[in-house]
Amino acid sequence: MAGLELLSDQGFRIDGRRSHELRKIQCKLGVFSQADGSAYVEQGNTKVLAAVYGPHEIRGSRSKLLQDKVLVNCQYSMATFSTSERKRRPRGDRKSQEMTMHLQQTFNAAILTSLHPRSQIDIFVEVLQSDGGNYCASVNAATLAVIDAGIPMKDYVCACSASYLGDSPIVDINYLEESSGSPEITVAVLPKSEQIVFLEMNGRLHEDNLSKVVDMAVKGCKDVYGVLDRTVREHVSQVGSSLET
Amino acid sequence: MLTSKTFIKKTKTGKILKIVREHYLRDDITCGVESCRECDGPHTLEAASTSPSEMCQGEHLLCPDTNVILHQIDVIEDHRIRNVIILQTVLEEVRHRSIPIYKRLRDILCNPDKHFYSFCNEFNKHTYVEREAGESSNDRNDRAIREAVKWYNKHLQTSRQIQTLLLTNDADNRKKALDQGIQSYTIHQYVRSLKDGKDLVDRLSLSGSKVFSGDKVQYPEHLPLSAIQKGLKTGKYLQGKFMASRENYTEANVSVADQEKMIFIQGLQNLNRAVHDDIVAIEMLKEEDWTCPSSVILVHTEEKDDTDEEEEKENLEKKRRKVPKELRQPTGKVVGIIKRNWRQYCGMLQPSIIKQATRHLVVTADKRIPKIRIETRQAADLMGQRIVVAIDNWPRTSRYPQGHFVRKLGNVGDKETENEVLLLEHDIPHAGFSEAVLNCLPTLPWEITKEDMERREDFRDLDICSVDPPGCTDIDDALHCRDLPNGNLEVGVHIADVSHFIRPGTAIDKEAERRGTTVYLTDKRIDMVPELLSSNLCSLRSNVERFAFSVIWEITNDAEIVKARYAKSVIKSKAALTYAEAQMRIDDPSMTDAVTKSLRNLNRLAKILKKKRMEKGALTLASNEVRFHIDSETHDPIDVETKQIRETNSMVEEFMLLANVSTAQKTLQEFPDCSCLRRHPCPPPSNFDPLIKAAQSKGFRIDVSSGKALADSLERAVLPDDPYFNVMLRIMTTRCMAQAVYFCSGMLPPSEYIHYGLAAEIYTHFTSPIRRYSDIIVHRLLAVCIGADASYPELTDKYKTQAVCNNLNYRHKMAQYAGRASVNLHTHIFFKNRHVDNEGYVLFVRKNALQVLIPKYGLEATLYLDSKTVTFEYDEQEHTQTCGEKVFRVFDRVIVQLTIDQSNLQHLKLQTKLVEPKIEGFSVPPSTPSETSDEPPLKKKKKT
Amino acid sequence: MAEVDLSDAEKIFIKHGVQDNCREDGRGCEDYRHIELETGLLSNTTGSARVRLANTDILAGVKAELGTPSPDKPNKGRLEFFVDCSANATPVFEGRGGEELAAEIGNILTRTYDCPSCFDLEALCIIPEEQCWILYVDVLLLECGGNLFDVASIAVKAALYNTKIPKVTVSRDEGLVELEISDDPYDVQRVEVQSAPCIVTVCKIGHSHVVDASLKEEACCLARLTMGVTERRTVTGVRKEGSGSLDPASLEDMMQTGKRVGELLNKSLMDSLLEEERQGSKKKPVGFLK
Repeated sequence: MAGLELLSDQGFRIDGRRSHELRKIQCKLGVFSQADGSAYVEQGNTKVLAAVYGPHEIRGSRSKLLQDKVLVNCQYSMATFSTSERKRRPRGDRKSQEMTMHLQQTFNAAILTSLHPRSQIDIFVEVLQSDGGNYCASVNAATLAVIDAGIPMKDYVCACSASYLGDSPIVDINYLEESSGSPEITVAVLPKSEQIVFLEMNGRLHEDNLSKVVDMAVKGCKDVYGVLDRTVREHVSQVGSSLET
Repeated sequence: MLTSKTFIKKTKTGKILKIVREHYLRDDITCGVESCRECDGPHTLEAASTSPSEMCQGEHLLCPDTNVILHQIDVIEDHRIRNVIILQTVLEEVRHRSIPIYKRLRDILCNPDKHFYSFCNEFNKHTYVEREAGESSNDRNDRAIREAVKWYNKHLQTSRQIQTLLLTNDADNRKKALDQGIQSYTIHQYVRSLKDGKDLVDRLSLSGSKVFSGDKVQYPEHLPLSAIQKGLKTGKYLQGKFMASRENYTEANVSVADQEKMIFIQGLQNLNRAVHDDIVAIEMLKEEDWTCPSSVILVHTEEKDDTDEEEEKENLEKKRRKVPKELRQPTGKVVGIIKRNWRQYCGMLQPSIIKQATRHLVVTADKRIPKIRIETRQAADLMGQRIVVAIDNWPRTSRYPQGHFVRKLGNVGDKETENEVLLLEHDIPHAGFSEAVLNCLPTLPWEITKEDMERREDFRDLDICSVDPPGCTDIDDALHCRDLPNGNLEVGVHIADVSHFIRPGTAIDKEAERRGTTVYLTDKRIDMVPELLSSNLCSLRSNVERFAFSVIWEITNDAEIVKARYAKSVIKSKAALTYAEAQMRIDDPSMTDAVTKSLRNLNRLAKILKKKRMEKGALTLASNEVRFHIDSETHDPIDVETKQIRETNSMVEEFMLLANVSTAQKTLQEFPDCSCLRRHPCPPPSNFDPLIKAAQSKGFRIDVSSGKALADSLERAVLPDDPYFNVMLRIMTTRCMAQAVYFCSGMLPPSEYIHYGLAAEIYTHFTSPIRRYSDIIVHRLLAVCIGADASYPELTDKYKTQAVCNNLNYRHKMAQYAGRASVNLHTHIFFKNRHVDNEGYVLFVRKNALQVLIPKYGLEATLYLDSKTVTFEYDEQEHTQTCGEKVFRVFDRVIVQLTIDQSNLQHLKLQTKLVEPKIEGFSVPPSTPSETSDEPPLKKKKKT
Repeated sequence: MAEVDLSDAEKIFIKHGVQDNCREDGRGCEDYRHIELETGLLSNTTGSARVRLANTDILAGVKAELGTPSPDKPNKGRLEFFVDCSANATPVFEGRGGEELAAEIGNILTRTYDCPSCFDLEALCIIPEEQCWILYVDVLLLECGGNLFDVASIAVKAALYNTKIPKVTVSRDEGLVELEISDDPYDVQRVEVQSAPCIVTVCKIGHSHVVDASLKEEACCLARLTMGVTERRTVTGVRKEGSGSLDPASLEDMMQTGKRVGELLNKSLMDSLLEEERQGSKKKPVGFLK
């Protein structure tokens, strides 16, 4: 009878988070051995695998070759069982192509591309389970995979989404909040310099509230950064200690 | 800590989806108890202030389950019920099952005196429970509630001994709670144990099992919801809103979505316990069983129990045989209730035959609501009082719904009480403004600052005046007109700048939005905004400086608009006139001051504007509005007159229309998606059938093919010897019309924007922001258009605007009804000590009555033809009543005598008796000062 | 997929080793490498499983949807396989690069499961000719380390075992059928996989043959036999692959080996599935976080 109450009077969201709380993030570097770099990220029920190959020679048509910098090649793909209603194709649809473009844009801005001219880096992202914030989890996983591959970057790239409910912004929205018709803002930032490398907005939001929501999302990115950085440091110390023995 | 919720959902397309949602469990949810040393956060609960109960000696808190809230909200609202924990489980269940009760519960939670605390047990890691195998979701929720109570008991043990009582009427739940060592009572036990709350017992709703009346099954069973849904899918049943007839309690209509014609329902069996406003499932009857409204006026009365079932059935049988095929309407019967929309009802106790009885019938004020059976020990006290009751249930074995007493309003006939009834019945928010709202008001003395002047145009030296009805204190419009050097005229309409004072999102804005409109009762005004604004700072009184939102036109002498502009301004009205005063100034050639000149010009332009509008097909409609002259001491009406329409009324109206249309165009241009407009849909041609038929009887043809055609044919339909005929036709036309409504432009295609009555492509309300919230929105939109004010998110959200419009439409309708009801009330008071003969006209012919319109009082009276001495023959096709040689037709002129039936002091009724034409044994002689209304009963056998 | 280029000497070394029942990694000819298995790690699927064998990593997800039975099998539900080769495994699979391999695996899975005695499709039928469950079995190839077919089939069987379809009750009302889905998450229907097949790929190397060939062994192998085998040694499908040829005698040998190994493989798979089931909900899924 009644629709869902996305933000209760007591200040809780449907899943029990407060408006400024991220979902639980769990991640791991080096999940595969064949890829040059790989990582797995869970943000709540959104689960993403990323693999990085390269830098290597340009594959396929050499016309894509760039004289002054590396070609960043991305592919975003969603497992057919990742959504609650089964997808018919894992990629090639408009949405995945758009995501591929967005990833390419984001990582072109973050990777030190001029270090590897005339070569190519592949970033492949596979969404295993989707519960909102697919782009964000993809970016976060890909960042870890790029780090795992040892490719130099300006900084981590961290992404986070935010929305606006009633009169307060909420961070890291899940699928339910995403599909409720409220606006959605996704940003990817370089956390140290707080530079925004990607920003997208869906739905309607009054201009007056934009900065509040963007601030919330940027704050979310910095929180994500904390988690990612900790994981990387743990991973590196583990790898280091295993080398010693 | 994290867990996830998994459930299966079936989508609309029949797909089955597995939905997984995360569910975070927290350890930072506090208990809300003031004396708790472990938890910070809000301390809403003060166990020491709980009402003392005989059952629990120590300090205690209460924790009701969902059903207690749903069924006993009237008791829960009482100030004696304090310190209650509302669990999230309960809050969510209530929200799913009843939005109105959820809203009331939220209001209680906001009230600091009630000490209610909502505890998010579902998110608390100590109190969350997972559904177990084989456990129904209700059982799980019960368990969650017990778990939470258990946690509270354990949690509060550490600091101080505070008991938490589980209130549930579910015996099984209570038993399980006791097994776990939780104190648990029914709400009935608890209320009875309250030391200072014996009278609260009356307000307890009945639990489902208790039935007052016997075991005799009186109604068919309701289908379960699953069966209804299945039937709806196959088309076997239809879903619709149940609308009981005001005139006959055994009849109702059901409006089914997407169907123009309503489904008719007749007979208590077929109505099957549906109550007005319920959402019901109906099944169509076979076509040969279709029937039509009986034209019998049948209302509940206090004096006697209603006719027996058997008799009624017989009647039905008879009626059906008589219904000719062409009169049959699609007829159905109620098979189930999809959603009850019960609210609280005003009513009065029906005197009981047994003196000491505790079960009583309440006759409701709303004729569409059946009598309600309640149990009370204060009957003697409540007799002759207006009371509020609620319905609890309606078992099959009970003729009437069962309910409980909520509160009393006061003595019947007492004007304050009657007004209260009126406001309650029309759901009009009429409590005083809250502290938060009053805090939004500017502090006095209020002055116009220099910054204000810089941002506004200075119109203080213009000869502006206002024209309003006498006694008007909320003046929201003023006018001026002056010559321009190029020979054209400048006309200005200045509207009170209410949006300057009411800023979006503030408490005062929210309250005004909720109220939607100022409600005018005959002797009372319920303001939309506090008086300081409505009658002072916003009101454009004479000789004071006021903020205005002005529309300025350059107009040629032929009333062609050259250009229009809008500005926030400061004005100083030179005169606040009444319609009569303004008229006198115009008519008095000796007056030549600037204001009068400007009025004359305005009047001249208005006439041209009106003519143009009429040519486009605008309708002149009539209604029977009246004014009471109120005695200044007793506040009783001493005379009544119908509103007089002067030229000046029409003058002001024309310019207001012009301003409204102009702003509608301007805002729509800037905000095509979120303008707030007003439309008057073109009525379906079938609506006009009664009008066409009635006019035909006098030989006139009414063409309803277009608004223009209708206006023209109404213009032609004049009987030279009967000046009132045309007015009556216009009154009837008004009744054929659809309601004009507010809407948001983004929600409808532009072709639907049309305002039929005014023959305008688009229209809005801009000119009365003091008394209408719609105008405030339009002001804000227009202010953004001209860059005078900033936009804000909700203003450009079309769904929000539409939601506001829906509320406004509802409030306006209710305000209108309340206004009419107030006039009725005063009519009764007016006729209390009077016997007068009046000229009237037959407006409708019914099976057992004539509806007579009395122009002098703008009153519609019912003249019952159920005499025991003479017989009236009703012709259903021609709509006539015949008695001997006398034939009564629509539009016939009659003389009736109006008196108040004082035989029942508790419920005064306006009684109508025929004086002319004379019918031996039925009509009464013309009234003389010492008249006795009782006639000797003639013993003649009643014909069947 | 890491490219393997072997010299002739290396190939001979492997061939000789196989002849002596001693493979380069120390296994015998009929031994599998270590297999890791986890089921139920994707909460939004009806059933899921991840299998890792050496570097081969395959994720299988089952989604149950309501649909209509195919007209030629009106009283049976449907089982639809879809295989996707993720570019994560190798850049070669980017775009449509992996489609050929995916189709091949999909076809073999379809063929081996198309056998009434090994998988009961009738249990998936709700109303003959009108309503049935369609199980979409989606296989996602995440990393390739050889022996893809076998691993894919193990993942599929494990995912089907993990599948819990909501209970449906059928009610009829005046010819109109109404399906009611049970709202109790514990009220589910399991899929019977006891007799479902696993694929065993037998690779001919020199004059002998091995199962679960490593990437290097695959490089030495010219012909292989892909067989669907059930627990009771029923062969539900056979296909010969590779550029080399087989003489009838060795075909017979390879079939025998396949059956023998298949029986063992199915048994140990069921054992570990039952063991995992016993641990029940106490165990939180680890997935890729291990």
